[in-house]
Formats: sequence, C-alpha cells, structure tokens
Amino acid sequence: MIKIDGVTKMYGQALAVKNISFEVERGEILGFLGPNGAGKTTTMRIITGYFPPTDGNVIVDGYSVLEQPIEVKKRIGYVPENPSMYKDMKVLEYIKFIGAIKGLKRSDLKRNLESVVEKCSLEDVANKRIGELSKGYRQRVALGQALINDPPVLILDEPTSGLDPKQIFEIRQLIKSMAGERTIILSTHILPEVSMTCDKVVIINEGRIVAEDTTENLGRSFAQSYQLEMTIDGNPEDVMEIFSQIPGILRVDNDRNTYVVDIEKDKDIRAELSRKIVESGFGLLEFKSRMLSLEEVFLKLVTEEEGVNA
Amino acid sequence: MRNIGEIYKREIKFYFTTPVAYVVIVIFTAIFGFLFYRNLIFYSNLSYQMMQNPYYARNIDLIVGVFSPVFSSISIIFLMVIPPISMRLFAEEKKTGTIELLFTYPVRDVEIVMGKWLAAVTIVFVMLLLTIPAPFLAFKFAGSSEWGPVLSGYLGLFLMGVAFLSLGVLISALSENQIVAIIISYGALLGFWFIGWAVDPHSGKQIGKIFGELSIIGHVNDFLKGLIDTKNITYYVLFIFTMVFLSLRVLESKRWRG
Repeated sequence: MIKIDGVTKMYGQALAVKNISFEVERGEILGFLGPNGAGKTTTMRIITGYFPPTDGNVIVDGYSVLEQPIEVKKRIGYVPENPSMYKDMKVLEYIKFIGAIKGLKRSDLKRNLESVVEKCSLEDVANKRIGELSKGYRQRVALGQALINDPPVLILDEPTSGLDPKQIFEIRQLIKSMAGERTIILSTHILPEVSMTCDKVVIINEGRIVAEDTTENLGRSFAQSYQLEMTIDGNPEDVMEIFSQIPGILRVDNDRNTYVVDIEKDKDIRAELSRKIVESGFGLLEFKSRMLSLEEVFLKLVTEEEGVNA
Repeated sequence: MRNIGEIYKREIKFYFTTPVAYVVIVIFTAIFGFLFYRNLIFYSNLSYQMMQNPYYARNIDLIVGVFSPVFSSISIIFLMVIPPISMRLFAEEKKTGTIELLFTYPVRDVEIVMGKWLAAVTIVFVMLLLTIPAPFLAFKFAGSSEWGPVLSGYLGLFLMGVAFLSLGVLISALSENQIVAIIISYGALLGFWFIGWAVDPHSGKQIGKIFGELSIIGHVNDFLKGLIDTKNITYYVLFIFTMVFLSLRVLESKRWRG
C-alpha cells in the first residue's frame, strides 16, 4: 500500500534522513519508532507530500508522490504532531471545510461528518472554536479532519504526545479499532505504544533505519541473547570466578549480591550455572531469566549500532 | 476550481469574522468620506464665486473640482490600508503552522494562491464599492452627471489597489512574520512610488522615462482623467500577474527546501 523507496532528505547541507526504504501492507499498522530528531517527522512529511524528497520516491496505492501528488494526497489522512488548525473556525465548520477541500460531494460530506463526529466523540464541542479547545479535543479534531474523506491511509505523527492517560487510552483504542480497514503509519518514541497497537515496527535513528520487523519478532530476536538476574550469597570475587569458568557468558554486571548475566544466543546454561554455584557452597537466593523488553531492544539499537543485523 | 472557491470562502469568512476587514473598510471609507466632503464644500464655495465670472466657470466641473483630487489622495490611503489586508495571507499560516496541513490536502499550490488572492481582491472591491454613493450624491446635487470619468477613475483605482495587494501577497509569501511583512510592503510600495522621481522624466534621459513608466502611481493618473489607455491597463495587469506568479514560485521553492 505504501512503499518508501530510497528516500533521502537534505535541509540545505544538513542530512535529515538517508536512503530509507520500507513497505507497509494494506491494513497494517506500522510503528515508526525513534528518538526525537531521528527523522520521523521528515519521513512522514515526505509521505504526505508536504515536501518532496531530495532523492528517492514514495508510492502510495500505486501513485508516486512526486508525479501524482494530488492522487496521493487524496488517499492520505494526516495528523501532524501538535496539529495547527484554524483557531478562528468552529469544529464542525472546520471539518466541513476540510472535507470540501478534499473534494467530497455535499451528500458524502454530510454522511461522513456524522460518522467522524461520532467516532472522534466531538458532539460536545461541535460548535466551539478550535482555539478554545483543550489539547485532547484538538487532537480529536485533527483526527476528524484526517478521517473526513475516509482515506485508506492514515499518517499519525506522535498522536498521543501531550495527552493525559485517559485520552491516550482513547486515542489508542480509536487507532486499534481502525486496524484492518486502514493502513496506518504511527510515529512515536513511546515503546509500549508500539507493542500495544502496531503489527510492525521500523526503528529509525539519526536518519537511518536500524531495524525493521514485526513487533513480536523484534522482541524475540533480541530475546535470544537473554539475561539472567541472580542474587547470590557469597564473596563477589569468588562468584565472578565461577562465571569465568562457564563458556557462553558474555558479560556480568555485579552490584553487591546481585548479578546480571548476559548469555550468548542459543545457549542454555541455566542448569549448569545453578549447579556450579550451589556446589561451590554459595547461597543461590534468586534466579530469574528475562527477555529483553522492546524498550531495551530499542535502546540497544540506538546506542550501539554494531551487532545489529536485523 | 472548486478548491479555489473553498479557500476563497474560508478567507472571506476569516476577514469578516475577525475585525480585519471591518477596521480596514471603516477607516478607508471614513477617510474617503472626509476627503469627499472637504472637496465638495470647497468646490461649492468656489463655484459660488465663479458664478460672478462666467469665463472661469467654464473651466471647472465636478470631475476636476472634486473627483480628481479625491481619487488622487486615495493612492496614499490605499498605501496605508492595503498592506494590512495582504500581510496575513501566508505569513500567518506559516507562523501558526496551519500551512502544514494545507499543503498535505489534495489542493494545488496555484489554487491556494488564487483563493487567497481573490479573497483579498474582494476586500479592495468592497472598499471601493462602498464609496459609490459619493458620486451619486454629488451628481444629484449638481444636477448633472458625468459617469464616464468617474467610472474610469474607479477602474484605475481598483487596478492600482490590486497591484498594491499583489505585491503584499508576494511579501507575505516570503515572510513568516506579519509585522515584518507589513513594513516591507510599505517600503516596497513607496519604492515603486518614488521610482518615478528617481530621475527627472523631463531631463530627456531615457532612464528617466523608464523609471517614470515603472512608477506604480503614475499609471493611475490617466484613468482619473477619464482616459482608459491600454498601456496603463497592461502595466497593472502585468504587475499583478508577475507578483502572483512570483508568490507561487516562492511557495514552491520553500517547499523544496523544506
């Protein structure tokens, strides 16, 4: 549905994104993840046709954003980060105006308006000026203007930033409810948001893609190098001595009695390790194995690029 | 076409739901009214004296005595009241960020520019339209009417006003700050005004003639005399077209640079 093909964007001499490529299938929700300043907004603006890429192309539903920008724009609903809308306009009036600009016929506009107002729960503020609305409502109006022409593609730039927990929950529910019927790209720097709402993740850092996979796979592939967390009663130096005897241990972090042990991929040394510790006469007080959370995967990816082959 | 209409409607609504249009129109018509009144009084006193001397009386009429001086002064009033109409058109959208969404809608840049420009042109048109009762009154009291020169004067004023406006639109497209936009508009308009005085047009030098022809005010004079010259119309139409075209290019180039 959406194909980003080798997109590069320069702002003057400054490189914003470099040679980015990925695809989103119809009906998929893609999480676009990265720290602030990684190039998420730049990429989204290119997809929406706000500005053209310096190099590369974006294809949406078979139309090139460079050659048929109008066709592409007709198919996209966009919610920018901190969306700026005409503050002097009333909510309904604004959404109607956007519907008309997006080329809706009068009858379609009327029908869509009703469903959008209901979906985004805008009944209470329908006749208020946008300038008077709270952040949460403004976000919903922004979503409303994006949905008014019932576009097959939605681009949401940090849709939950600056909202309170209840509003975040509502917006996420709304996004989830559209899964399958619309193709959605959602940028965020909040990781749980991705594991909660998205099918697929693209992680971007300093303008480059550092990982791309389904949400599950990404967690799993890194989980293979899992960690053990142990609490051992005994002299740390002697305990460390034991660790050094066992092959497959990559790294040990030690803080008083607790040890966090990184284990090589595909090696299960839990049984051997626990036996050795007990045999040596130490007290094994706690033994936990844990997978890396998406948060840790993300931090690993953006802090150390080597060793990432995803 | 429909998109131009939608953008036009939204801009017109903005002008009339915020005080912008009212302030500009009220100030313009008030100053026009005052100038018209002063000139009419002056003219009526003058014609009263002229009654004693039929020879001189032949040389004055409503056009020379009232409309020419009033219409000439409008150039200056336009210079003051038109930049406030044009300054916000793009500068405001860039400053508040609303242009981001606008550029992602299936609308061509040219439709955005035309819609906005036409809305501002409408304000100029309304300003002039509201002064039409003045010649009606004058002709009624004078018992004679000479609509030809008055209408040609209005045409000239309208073209000049739209030329002023189009220059302001270009500057608004260039700037993100409305204060900067309005001050540059004043500067640029005065520049196009003074350019006619840069070299004495009667010095015989070619450059003096060229500068004289470039002057944005100079071309309106013939209209005020009742003379509709294609040369003057061409000047304004070309000026307006160039400004609107450049605005479009400025917006496009800003997009390319991000």
